[in-house]
Amino acid sequence: MPPQRMTSLPHEDWVSSISCQEPGLFLTGSYDGNIRLFDYSQTLLQTIPVQSAAITSVAYVKKTNKDTQLVATASHDLTAKLTEVSISPSDPSPSRVLASLHLHTGPLTAISTNAAGSHLLTSSTDELIGLWDTSIPDYDEVPPDDASSERKKRRKLDDSQESRAKRKAPISVLKSHTARVSKAVFTKDNTNAVSAGFDSTVRTWDVENGVCTNTITAPAKPFLDIALPVTGQTILAASTDRTVSQYDLRAASSSAATPSIASLPHPATPSCVAASPVGSGSSEHQLVTGAYDGSVRLWDLRSEKSAVTSFKVWEGRAGGKKILSIDWAFGMVGIGGEGGVEVWRIGEGDRLQSS
Amino acid sequence: MQSEDEDADAGQESDGEQVDEFPEIDTRSDSEEEEEEDVDVEEGDEDDEEDEDEEDEDESEDEFSDASIHPFPKAKTVVSGITGQPKRVYPPIEPDYDSDSSTEDIPNRVGNVPMHWYDDLPHIGYNINGKKVLRPARGDELDKFLKTVEDPETWTSAFDEKAQMDKPLTTDELDLIRRLQENENPDAGYNPYEPTVEWFTGKGKEEIMPLSAAPEPKRRWVPSKWEKQKVMKIVRAIRQGRIIPNKPKTASDKPQFFNIWAEEPSNQPPPLPAPKPRLPTHAESYNPPEEYLPTEEEKKSWEETDREDREREYLPQKFPALRLVPAYNQFIQERFQRQLDLYLAPRVTRTKLQIDPNSLVPKLPSPSSLKPFPVYKSLEVIHDKGRTRSVGISPDGTWAASGDENGVVSVWEVVVGKVVKSWKFKGKVGAVEWCPRIDVCFLVVATEEQLHFLTPPNLPTSVLVATQAALAPAQLPPAPTTPSPVKWQSISAAASTSDSPILTINLPSNSGMPKQVAWHRRGDYLATVASGEGQGGVWIHQISRRHSQAPFKKVKGAVQFVLFHPTKPHFFVATQRYVRIYNLAEQKLLKTLQPGTRWISSMDVHPLGDHLIVGGYDRKLCWFDLELSDKPYKILRYHSRAIRSLHFHPTYPLFASSSDDGSIQIFHARVYNDLMTDPLIVPLKILRGHQVREGLGVLQVKWVSKQPWLVSAGADGHVAVWCS
Repeated sequence: MPPQRMTSLPHEDWVSSISCQEPGLFLTGSYDGNIRLFDYSQTLLQTIPVQSAAITSVAYVKKTNKDTQLVATASHDLTAKLTEVSISPSDPSPSRVLASLHLHTGPLTAISTNAAGSHLLTSSTDELIGLWDTSIPDYDEVPPDDASSERKKRRKLDDSQESRAKRKAPISVLKSHTARVSKAVFTKDNTNAVSAGFDSTVRTWDVENGVCTNTITAPAKPFLDIALPVTGQTILAASTDRTVSQYDLRAASSSAATPSIASLPHPATPSCVAASPVGSGSSEHQLVTGAYDGSVRLWDLRSEKSAVTSFKVWEGRAGGKKILSIDWAFGMVGIGGEGGVEVWRIGEGDRLQSS
Repeated sequence: MQSEDEDADAGQESDGEQVDEFPEIDTRSDSEEEEEEDVDVEEGDEDDEEDEDEEDEDESEDEFSDASIHPFPKAKTVVSGITGQPKRVYPPIEPDYDSDSSTEDIPNRVGNVPMHWYDDLPHIGYNINGKKVLRPARGDELDKFLKTVEDPETWTSAFDEKAQMDKPLTTDELDLIRRLQENENPDAGYNPYEPTVEWFTGKGKEEIMPLSAAPEPKRRWVPSKWEKQKVMKIVRAIRQGRIIPNKPKTASDKPQFFNIWAEEPSNQPPPLPAPKPRLPTHAESYNPPEEYLPTEEEKKSWEETDREDREREYLPQKFPALRLVPAYNQFIQERFQRQLDLYLAPRVTRTKLQIDPNSLVPKLPSPSSLKPFPVYKSLEVIHDKGRTRSVGISPDGTWAASGDENGVVSVWEVVVGKVVKSWKFKGKVGAVEWCPRIDVCFLVVATEEQLHFLTPPNLPTSVLVATQAALAPAQLPPAPTTPSPVKWQSISAAASTSDSPILTINLPSNSGMPKQVAWHRRGDYLATVASGEGQGGVWIHQISRRHSQAPFKKVKGAVQFVLFHPTKPHFFVATQRYVRIYNLAEQKLLKTLQPGTRWISSMDVHPLGDHLIVGGYDRKLCWFDLELSDKPYKILRYHSRAIRSLHFHPTYPLFASSSDDGSIQIFHARVYNDLMTDPLIVPLKILRGHQVREGLGVLQVKWVSKQPWLVSAGADGHVAVWCS
C-alpha cells in the first residue's frame, strides 16, 4: 500500500521537531519557541510558548496524570525545559513550565527520554551531553545568572506568569565528543545511551558511570540524526555526506574506521531518520528518512540500492522544502520542516483504527 | 730478302732525292708506285719459285695462293697519250675460272668448325656438292721421318686442319713468320724511315724579320714593384704568424693505416621502401560479383558527389570478357596520385617515442583519495532583495551571517539554514565578519562609512558579559592625544540588546563603503579597506584601546585587499597590481610580490603563514611561496571569469575560489613543513549552482571552520552551504 497523505498542519514558522508517540496527538516544536498540540482531526489544541528562542527538539517524557503529559523541549536559548501539558481535549487546563535544565553553553540540538520517562538526555553544540532525571526539584539547583537585566526581566516575567520554573542541574555530563553532538538517545535497555555528532563518531555511553564505552568512527561523516531500530543492536545515523548508515553497536572500537553495515545513499542531505516503531505492522528492517529536498523515503535495510518508496511533502509550496524532523508511530509518519507539518500513513492502516 | 729491303731503301732514297726536284704530291704517288712495282717484282719471283718447287701440287692450290697474294688486279700507271698526265690502267678482267673465286674448288666446305668432330669419321667434311670428302691418307711416323729426310721442303710445311694434311708454307708466310720472330713490323711494305717533308722550314722558307722592331721595354728586366708588394704582404703575414705554413709531416715516413673494420656497422635501418599501392579489391575487377555492382541510385549519387567527397575513385563495372574492357581513363590521374603519394611518403623512419600521454600529466592524487571536500549544495538561504556581497562564519562553525546590498544582515544556523536573527541597516552591507575570538562572540558589519558590532542572540551569560565588556567597557580607555577622524560610539552594556549594534565606528566621511574587513587572529585588531578615496582607505582599529589609525600615509595605487599574517606581525596590502608585505612592528616594507595580474581582487594567506594566494579580475590565481620568491610559484587559470573571492580552510588542506562565472572551485592544497617539498595543489571540484546576475557570480566564499563545508554568497541573493 503506497503512503497516503493524511493531514497537513500549517505552521507560521519552521517546525524543527515533531512527535507522534502519543496516540491521537501530534506534538510539534517550532522555531518561534512554541510547542503546539494537534489532534488527529487537524485541530490545534494548544499553543504553549515555552522557550524564548527556537525550539530544536521536543519529546514526550511521561504521563504525570491522566490528562497531563510531561513534555521536554530543547532550544537555542541554551536551556531545555520540562513542561506539563494537558492533553485532554475537553479540559484544556493551562500548561506549566515546571523546570528548566541548565547546563549547556551552546544551542541545544536534541532532547530524548528513555522508555520509562525517568531520564533525559540533552545534546548541544558545546560538545556536551547532559543526563537528567525528570523529577521536578523543589528549589533552584542552579543559581540564577545575573548577567543581564534582560534575562532578569524575562525571568521575573516567567516567575510571575508560570510560577516556579525550577532551574535544574544535570545528574552527569557525558564528555567525549569533540564537535557538536547532534543527538543522544537511550538504548532499549535504558542503561546505555548512544550519541552521534559532527566529529563523525557514534559513541556508546554507560549512563550510570558516565563513561564512553564504545566509539564507532566513520571518517568524514558528520552525523545529523540517529535512530535506534527495534532490535536495538544497530543504530541508524544520517550524515551530511548524503548517506544514512547502519552501524553495529557491538563493533569493536579498536579500528580507526568502523565499516557500516548498510549505507543508504540520498540525493540530498538526509536531516532526520526514524526507525519503524515497535509493534507496528511494518517490518523491523524499515526506516523513513527525511531530506532537505523535501522527500521522505521509506527504506528497507535489506536493499540498500534504492528506497522502497518515496514521496514529496509540501507539494506546491514555493521556496524551501527542507524536512527537519520525522517521527513514525502507529502507522503514521509525521514530518516537520520548513513547510509546517504533514502526516502520512505508511503500512497497514488498521493500526490507526485500533488505537 | 734483305737485299730486297736494301733495294727498297735505295729506291726510297732515290725517291727522296727526286722529291726535292718535283712537286710534293707527285713524289708521294711516285714512291707508292715504285714500291708496288717492287712488290710486284718480288711476287712474281716467288710465284716462279713456288711453281718450280711444288710441281706435284694441284692447280687449285696454286690458284688459291695466287688469289691470296693478288686479291685485286694490278693497276699500271701509264702516261696518257691524250692528256700527257700519268694514269692508272687496270688489266682487263678475263672471264675464266681463275678470275672468280666462286668457281674455286674448295674441297671441304664444312666451314669453321672444330675438326675434331670428324676425328672418328672416315671423311673430314663435305664438298660443295654434298659429297663426303674423304680423309686423306696419312703416313705413319716412319713416313714422316722419311719425308723429313727426303723432302727438303718438309720443314717449311705446316699441318692444315681443314685438309688434314701437311701443306708447304708460301714464301710470304715464311717471311711473315720471320718478321714476327725478329720483332719487326709484320708489314713488309712499311717503311719506318720516311724522308722528312719540310712544309714550313727549310731553304727558302726562313722568316726574314721579327714581327716588331721596337726595342725591348725596360720592364722586361726591372723587377715588378707590385709583385714585390704582394710577396712582401705574404712574407709579413708569415712572420706575424697569420699564415701558417703546412705542418711538417712528422709521420710522413710511415704509411698510414686505416682499420676499416674497426667502425661499428651502421645500426641505421635501411631506407624505407616506398609505400605499396593499395591492392585492388573485388570491386575493381572487370567482372565483379553482382553484389559489388552499384545500383542506379548509388551510381547517381556517386556521380553527383564531388571528386574529393567520393568514397572511392571508381564505379565497379561489369564486362563479359576482358577484351571488352576499354582503356583505363583514370590512368594519368592515378599515376599522378601515386606520384604525389611517393612524394609525400616519409623518407626516414621517425623513431616514434613510446610515451604514454598520461605519464606526462603530473602525478596528482585522485580527488577521491583527498576526501572530504564539499561536493554538493546542502541548503540555501535566500535574501529576497539585493545581492549578497558578504558572508561570515562564526569561529565555532555553528552560525553564519550574510549581508546583502539591501542592508539586511541575517544570522542563521549553518546546518539548518534557518534565519534566527536579522538586522536592517541603511545602505549596502559591504562586509560581514565574525570576530575570531572564542571567549567573546560578535560580528562586524560594514555599511556606508560605518562599522557595526552586533551580538548574536542566545549567548551564554559568560560570553555575553565578556562581549559587552570588550565592546562597551564601563570605563572607556583614555582618548588618544591626537584627535582621530574615526569616532567610536557604543551603547552601555546594560542597555545593549542583540537587536541593535552595541558599538558603531564612524569612519571619516567620504571614505565610502568598506568593502573588506580583516581580523587579526587574536581578535583585537581589525583592518578595513574602504572603496572611497583618501589615505588609501585602510584603517586599523584596535578594539581594546578603542582607537583607529591609518597605517599608511600614502599608498601607491588603490588598495584592494588587506590581510594580517596569522603568526607574524606582518600585514599584506594588495594594490591593483602588487602585494606589499609590511612589518607592523618595525614599520617597514618587507617584500613586494608581483603576481602579474592586472587587477587583484582578493587574496588569502595560508593558516601556516608561508603561502599566499592572490586572485585577480583577469581570472588568474597565483600561489606564492613567501619563502621562495616574489614571483608566483604557480599560476592557476581555471576560472572563465574574474575571481571574486578566495579562502583557505583553517584546518583542512583545502582552499576555494569563487568567480563571476558562477562557479566555485575547490582545491586541495597541502603544504609541507619540509622546505624542499613543493606544496601540492590538486583541483578537486567545481561547484555550480549560483546564477550569474548582471555579470556577477559568486561574490564571497567562506569555509565552515571545523567542517569541510563551504558557504558561498552569490549575486543572485542566494547563500549556499556546500557539504562534503
